[in-house]
Amino acid sequence: MQKSKFSWANIYLVCVFIFLYLPIFYLIFYSFNAGETMNSFTGFSLHHFSELFSDTHLVIILLNTFLLAFLSALIATFIGIFGALFIYYLKRRSHRNTLLSLNNILIVSPDVTIGASFLILFITLGTLFSGFSLGFWTVLLAHISFSVPIVVLMILPKLQEMNDSMITAGYDLGANERQILKNIILPYLSPGIIAGYFMAFTYSLDDFAVTFFVTGNGFTTLSVEIYSRARRGVSLEINALSTLVFLFALVLVVGYYYISKDNQGRSKKKKRGVLR
Amino acid sequence: MKKPIISFRNVVKSYDDDVPVLKKVSFDIEEGKFYTLLGPSGCGKTTILRMIAGFSEPTAGDIYFEGKRINNVPANKRQVNTVFQDYALFPHMNVFENIAFGLKIKKTPKEEIAVKVKEALRLVQLAGYEKRGISEMSGGQRQRVAIARAIVNEPKILLLDEPLSALDHKLRLNMQYELRELQQRLGITFIFVTHDQEEALAMSDEIFVLNNGNIVQSGTPVDIYDEPINHYVADFIGESNIVDGIMIKDNLVKFAGKEFKCVDEGMRPNEPVEVVIRPEDLDLTSIEAGKLKVKVETQLFRGVHYEIVCHDEMENEWIVHSTKKAQVGREIGLDFDPEDIHVMRFNESEAEFDARLESYDD
Repeated sequence: MQKSKFSWANIYLVCVFIFLYLPIFYLIFYSFNAGETMNSFTGFSLHHFSELFSDTHLVIILLNTFLLAFLSALIATFIGIFGALFIYYLKRRSHRNTLLSLNNILIVSPDVTIGASFLILFITLGTLFSGFSLGFWTVLLAHISFSVPIVVLMILPKLQEMNDSMITAGYDLGANERQILKNIILPYLSPGIIAGYFMAFTYSLDDFAVTFFVTGNGFTTLSVEIYSRARRGVSLEINALSTLVFLFALVLVVGYYYISKDNQGRSKKKKRGVLR
Repeated sequence: MKKPIISFRNVVKSYDDDVPVLKKVSFDIEEGKFYTLLGPSGCGKTTILRMIAGFSEPTAGDIYFEGKRINNVPANKRQVNTVFQDYALFPHMNVFENIAFGLKIKKTPKEEIAVKVKEALRLVQLAGYEKRGISEMSGGQRQRVAIARAIVNEPKILLLDEPLSALDHKLRLNMQYELRELQQRLGITFIFVTHDQEEALAMSDEIFVLNNGNIVQSGTPVDIYDEPINHYVADFIGESNIVDGIMIKDNLVKFAGKEFKCVDEGMRPNEPVEVVIRPEDLDLTSIEAGKLKVKVETQLFRGVHYEIVCHDEMENEWIVHSTKKAQVGREIGLDFDPEDIHVMRFNESEAEFDARLESYDD
C-alpha cells in the first residue's frame, strides 16, 4: 500500500520536472549552439554569450532591471515592515481583518488589472503635472506598491508568533518604544524581513504585465525587452540571456536557503564555539 | 517600623465597567524583605504586581515608591525589575546579550557590562553560559537567565510572577531555596506572586493572602498558618479540619457535642464560631484516652505520613496526619492539646482580629 503511494509521488515529481524544467533546459541547451536557430544543434559555442555582452543596449536593460528590483524591494520591505506592525497593533479585530483582506486582494488580483489601473493613475497625474511622464520612476512606484503586500504577508506570521511579554520585558528593563523596536522587534522579525525582501526582489525581477503598462518609451526591463524581441523571432542571444538569468535565480535560491538556515542555526554554531 | 519602600493606598483597579479586580487595597512593603502575594487565580495578585512594575495604572488610589507618588511613572523609568512567568527571554539573543540588555539601554560602559553579567551569572549558578542560545537551554536554566537579567540592573525591588510554576517538582523545591538565599544575599525586596501555599510558606518573610480583590490576611508564614483569620485562609493555607462550634466563654469552646479547653479569648459568650485543628496536631489513641471518638473511613499512605480520614458521631470529618497506622473501619480516639485548637469568628476584619490577638497575648 505504502509502496504504491510512494511511486505515485515519484510519478508526480517526474511530471513536474518534465513539464516545468524540460523547456528551460531545452532553451539553455541551445544557448550553447554554434548555429543561429533552434532547429538543429550544430556544435558547442559561446558566441551567443559574447554577442550578448557586446550588446550594450541589452546590458543596460539588464542593469536597470536589477537596480529596479533592488530599489523597489528595499523600499517595499521598509514600508511592509511598518504595514505589518500597523496591522498587528490595530486594536479592533474587525479593522485588522479588513486591512489584511485588502492586503491579500492585491496579491491575488491579476497583474493586468493592477497594471491598467496604474496606467490610468499615471496618465491622470501626467495631465495634472507637466513634468510627470512614464519611465523609470513610474515603474519603480508600481513595483513598490505590488511588493508591499507580499512583504506584509511574509512578516505578519512571525509577528503573530512573537511573545508579547517580550515587549513588556523590554519596558521593564528600561527601554523606550524606539529602543524596543530597534533592539527587540526588528531583530526578532529579521528572518521574515529577509524572506520578504527576497520575495519582493524576485517579484520585481520577473514582473512583465504591470511593467508593460507603466513603462514609457525610454525605459524598459528585461522581461518586456525579451517579449518584444521574441515577437520579432527569437534570436539565440535571448537563450543566452535566459541561461544567465536562470543561473542567477539558482544562486538566489541557494543563497536564501543558506541565509535562512544560518538564522535558525545561529545559536548552534555559537555553542560549538564555546565547546572548542 | 522601617520606612516603607512601596505603599498602596486605597488602590482600585477595574477594567471597563466590570466588577473591580482590586477593591480598595492598602498595604506597605518594607525594604529588604521577601514578600509573597498568595491567592487563587483571579484574586488580583498579578494585577498588584503589574501596577508595581508600571504595566498598568490604578483606576483609583495612590501608589508610593519611597514616599513619592508613582501612579503615572512609566515602567521603563522605575527602579523595579520583573521575572516573568513565561520568562519572556529574547530568543534572538544569546544568554550574555539577554542579561546585558538592561545595562546596554542605560549606556553602561562595555567593560562594566561584562563584569556585571559575569557576576549575575555566577549568582544564578550559570557561570560560563554566556554564549549559549536560549533555545538550547532547559526550563530551569531559562528561569535562571530571567532572574539574572532582572537582578543585573540592581533594582530596588524584584518582582517575580509565578516564576516556578513551569518547573518540575524537584527543581521547584531547589529554586525555592536558591531564591530565598539570593534574596538574603542581595538584600533587596522580593515580591513573589504564587498560588502555591507551600512556596509561600517556605520562602517568605511576610505573606499577603488575597481573595476576590482584597487582602484577607497578612503576616509571617507561622502567624498565618497557626492563626488563620477565617475559613478561607485556613482552607487555602495547608490542610485543615474546620468544624462549627460555639464559644461558651473565654478559653472554653464547644464542638462535636463536647466542650473543650482552648486558649482563645475575646468573643461574646455563646458566639457561634468555626474551629480549626490541623491534621498533624491530631494524635491517634485509644477510645478511652481520646477526646474525640471517631470511626476510620479511609487511609492513604503519603510517604512521610498516613492520611487518615475519620468521622465522629456528629458526622464531622477529621483528617489526621500520623506516622502511626490505623485500621479502616475501627473506632479509635483522637487526642489534642488546648493550644492546637484555633477559634475563628465569622466576618472578623483583619484589624479586629489583630487587636483581639494582641489583647490576650499580653
